[in-house]
Amino acid sequence: MMESRARIAVIRFPGVNCEDETKRAVESQGMDCDILMWNGPRERLAEYDGYILPGGFTYQDRVRAGAIAAKDGIVDLLFDEAEAGKPIIGICNGAQILLESGMVPGITPGKVEMGLARNIMPDRDGYYTRWTHLRIESDTSCVTCVMTNHDVTSIPTAHAEGRFVTIDEGLIDRLFENGQVVMTYSGVKGEAEPAFPLNPNGSTRGIAAVSNPSGNVVAMMPHPERAAWLSQVPESLSGRWGAERRGAAGSRRVLTEPGPGGEIFKSLGAFITERLRGRGGEA
Amino acid sequence: MNVVVPAPVSIIKVLGVADDELLPRLAEAGLTFTADEARRVADLLGRDPTVVEANIFNTMWSEHCSYKSSRKVLGEYLPTEGVGVVLGPGEDAGIVRLATVNGKSYCIAIAHESHNHPSQVVPNEGAATGIGGIVRDVYCMGADVIGVLDPLRFGDPTGKNAERTKEIVHGVVEGIWQYGNALGVPNLGGDVYFDSSFDENCLVNVVALGLVVEDEIIRSRIPVEARDTDYDVILVGKPTDPSGFGGATFASRVLDEERALDDKYAVQVPDPFLKRMLAVATRDVLKLARDKGVAIGFKDLGAGGIACATSELGAAAGLGVRIDLSKVIVAEDDLKPEVIACSETQERYSFVVPRELSPEVLRIYNEVFDLPEICHGSGASVIGEVIQEARFILEHEGAVVCDARTEEITAGICYVRESRPREFTPKECVLPDGLDARGVLLKVLGAVNVASREHIYRHYDSEVKGSTVVRPGEADAGVIAPIPGVGVGVAVACDGNPFYGAVDSYQAGAVAVAESVRNVAAVGAHPIALTDCLNFGNPEVPEVVHDFVEAVRGIGDAARGIGLKDSGEPIPVVPGNVSFYNQSSGGSAVLPSPIVCCVGRLVDVSRHLTMGLKAGGNSIYLLGRRTAKLGASALLRTVGGDQVAPVPEVDFDDERRMMVAVTDIAESGLAASCHDISDGGVAVALAEMVLSSPEDDPVGARVSVQRLSAAETGASGAASGTTHDLELLFSEAGGYLLEVAIGHEERLLNILEDRGVWYSRIGTTVAGGGLSFTETADRDFSLSAKELARPWTDGATEVMR
Repeated sequence: MMESRARIAVIRFPGVNCEDETKRAVESQGMDCDILMWNGPRERLAEYDGYILPGGFTYQDRVRAGAIAAKDGIVDLLFDEAEAGKPIIGICNGAQILLESGMVPGITPGKVEMGLARNIMPDRDGYYTRWTHLRIESDTSCVTCVMTNHDVTSIPTAHAEGRFVTIDEGLIDRLFENGQVVMTYSGVKGEAEPAFPLNPNGSTRGIAAVSNPSGNVVAMMPHPERAAWLSQVPESLSGRWGAERRGAAGSRRVLTEPGPGGEIFKSLGAFITERLRGRGGEA
Repeated sequence: MNVVVPAPVSIIKVLGVADDELLPRLAEAGLTFTADEARRVADLLGRDPTVVEANIFNTMWSEHCSYKSSRKVLGEYLPTEGVGVVLGPGEDAGIVRLATVNGKSYCIAIAHESHNHPSQVVPNEGAATGIGGIVRDVYCMGADVIGVLDPLRFGDPTGKNAERTKEIVHGVVEGIWQYGNALGVPNLGGDVYFDSSFDENCLVNVVALGLVVEDEIIRSRIPVEARDTDYDVILVGKPTDPSGFGGATFASRVLDEERALDDKYAVQVPDPFLKRMLAVATRDVLKLARDKGVAIGFKDLGAGGIACATSELGAAAGLGVRIDLSKVIVAEDDLKPEVIACSETQERYSFVVPRELSPEVLRIYNEVFDLPEICHGSGASVIGEVIQEARFILEHEGAVVCDARTEEITAGICYVRESRPREFTPKECVLPDGLDARGVLLKVLGAVNVASREHIYRHYDSEVKGSTVVRPGEADAGVIAPIPGVGVGVAVACDGNPFYGAVDSYQAGAVAVAESVRNVAAVGAHPIALTDCLNFGNPEVPEVVHDFVEAVRGIGDAARGIGLKDSGEPIPVVPGNVSFYNQSSGGSAVLPSPIVCCVGRLVDVSRHLTMGLKAGGNSIYLLGRRTAKLGASALLRTVGGDQVAPVPEVDFDDERRMMVAVTDIAESGLAASCHDISDGGVAVALAEMVLSSPEDDPVGARVSVQRLSAAETGASGAASGTTHDLELLFSEAGGYLLEVAIGHEERLLNILEDRGVWYSRIGTTVAGGGLSFTETADRDFSLSAKELARPWTDGATEVMR
């Protein structure tokens, strides 16, 4: 069987602004990546092995963040690809699109079961940017499959609406039981359900990323493309990654070695390889 | 075919009209220029101007557009050239070379402006359109915007205007993040000061940096090819509306409470979503032109709108343009021609492209990016053509409403304003008795102009684009690695301590340069360029003019005196901006506020330095002598009341020696951390280094106060005891603190000796955090990290909320 590189499509909706660095981060993990226009030729979409909805402010966050893009025809096609088991990652505004479209959590596909509400933060409002520590809650999803449950990683967040909420009785418990809660904000040693600022937006039970039942579609608020290389990690950061960053200070490793976000994209690649192998090397 | 019946063209009668009749007539027409200026227009045209012409000249001759009070001074004192300068002042942004990688010469385009009046009147929109305007200046050079900074000055948050001040702070910060974050440009820094002189005139300065390959720079001029090829003029962006009509003239007079409501309409409406779409689509347009190998001109629309942008495109090439205002996409019907011509509607650019390229350009904006559909009627359209005769002709509904020689429109006018020194003499400062250094440090750390700015910068996206290496709060300058896969770094910082301006405008200008250079050197970068934004009161007031001239002189002397690291040539001041009339109708002007931005280069960004202490058992070195001059210091403001005392003079030779040594040290990898000394002196700088160490592995410092003073040069001959200690601890004379591992000290000392820098080994770092001072005149003292953190974290949060 020919070893072929995984091909990822980053979807450029009007108003996204993280597509270029997301493409670079994907490529840094040995995958090919194209940026596709939301209104471009649709037939090409199926050619890709996985998809990323990058961060930004699609359609100016009119109505609600992600609400307009979620109604775009291209999302219906992504539904089909997700059905086929292909990975789809929504980052920040992309996560908001996945929730607004009902792809995630997708207990009843297409039904909006969760929302990303305005941050709740003591003594401040609006946008908030901070590096967060994240505990892996499910190590089978397309963004965590090379990690292990209860590993702690560190990735920055930057948003005004990142608080996972639902009105469905018992949904949160069910998501935890199903392993659909992929990451939670934690203390530097993995302490669960920390207070602000470790939980930067007041998200329910510290939820930072949620997947569909089969784990191939993930809505995550943190920005892994901003943590793809050590150079992007703050020197003063607590925990393993801060120490790694300081350890590399002054050497070229700062520029060449992957940061914590690298593992997210590495998982994407591994998830695709695994899927193709599972399908008898159809690739 | 339908015949267009020309609309009657309205004229403003000027010739042979006496002042008492002319002035009301001008006022009625909403024109702000003087009777003499109106007559000069008529003389230039050789007839009475049309209403459109009068409005155009009125805008082009405003202080905001013409720099009529400042041009001469700037030209006289500021160094603007150098081997690394690709483009000095004159166009929308200045451009300097950064590095050549695989045969490509990468450059930094930089622009620096103010948006003060609009932000005072409508803080959110004012600040947002400030960012919107400055990034346009950089985009239109063909560059990709890679960062913005925003130096801010607000009123006294505890003074008589406290409530309004808090509204303005909140609105301005909100406007900056709402625009910048959505546009997707990282916010790399800035600074914030509070003082009652800004109660009625806040200052919102904005800086934008862009990356552009030298041979891909697009000039704001019609290309010479247009002399023998047909060229179209294309307008792209938001549909033109009346917003910002008269904005330039609004920015060119003092703010008047009673006119606040009208002024609101002089502020434009920001749309970062459209700006983002334009930025991405424009990349494709510029690539198209490169691939086809055709020359184009590209300019943003700012003050003066279509008239200003298209006339300058023509004048720069000695060619003319004919624009049909009826072809401009408008947001509402029945807009008067002068409004279409001069409105400052945001998010617009103009192109001049070969006619055969026009359809493809329109297709990219209107079809590929679908602008008319997704951005409410925005888009691109051909509005006119280049003409060989150097005339600026505007038509509207078939009638010619403006017909003047292009350079007459753009030449502007020039005034030499009367200048007179302010009458006051600073007195030697007196510190009250019975101060204890420990208590003073806690007080200064919590002072509103010293405490942490974290509450503000956590609103800003500093990491979008993925190239950020050092964020606000981590070091003295922001650092990015803007060329993917390449280790070249760019460092940038803004400074301008307004309290120097209260005492000595020359020093205010000089220290703004010195401090911004220090900030960039402290992360290990060589300064390569400066920009300045000069914020002053009413230039018709002689004292204001004197302060202005002194500040410019100080900037120029410092840029020459410190100089580029390698060649010693002056650090070029590439673009600049002057903001006059920061004065309320009540008469109070802002403190003279020259604000300077310095851009630096890191040959190897992995060798950059941050300010957080890294490990216990390292040595701490002080570079730069302390002085007894406490004028404009945080110490004096905190404990000494409102004394106006002499400020420390900037010693250009010392600053140069230190800059050269510190960057040598960084490049040799000899320092673990570095922080420059500014507000609050050594004491506050040390506290910040302690508080910036890793939370889960905190590092503290143990420092000898005696070692802060050189045996041969005591900080103050006179003072002794605690006063002497306070001078040493809180002197804001220029300098640096370095954390150095024991094994590196010998090489470090060699560099310091070779470079002739004054230095002293003042103490050591200690694991566990905290800050303790020994060998004090009075009683040794120490503070835990917790004790330091409380005032520093909370000191300014309340007022910034």
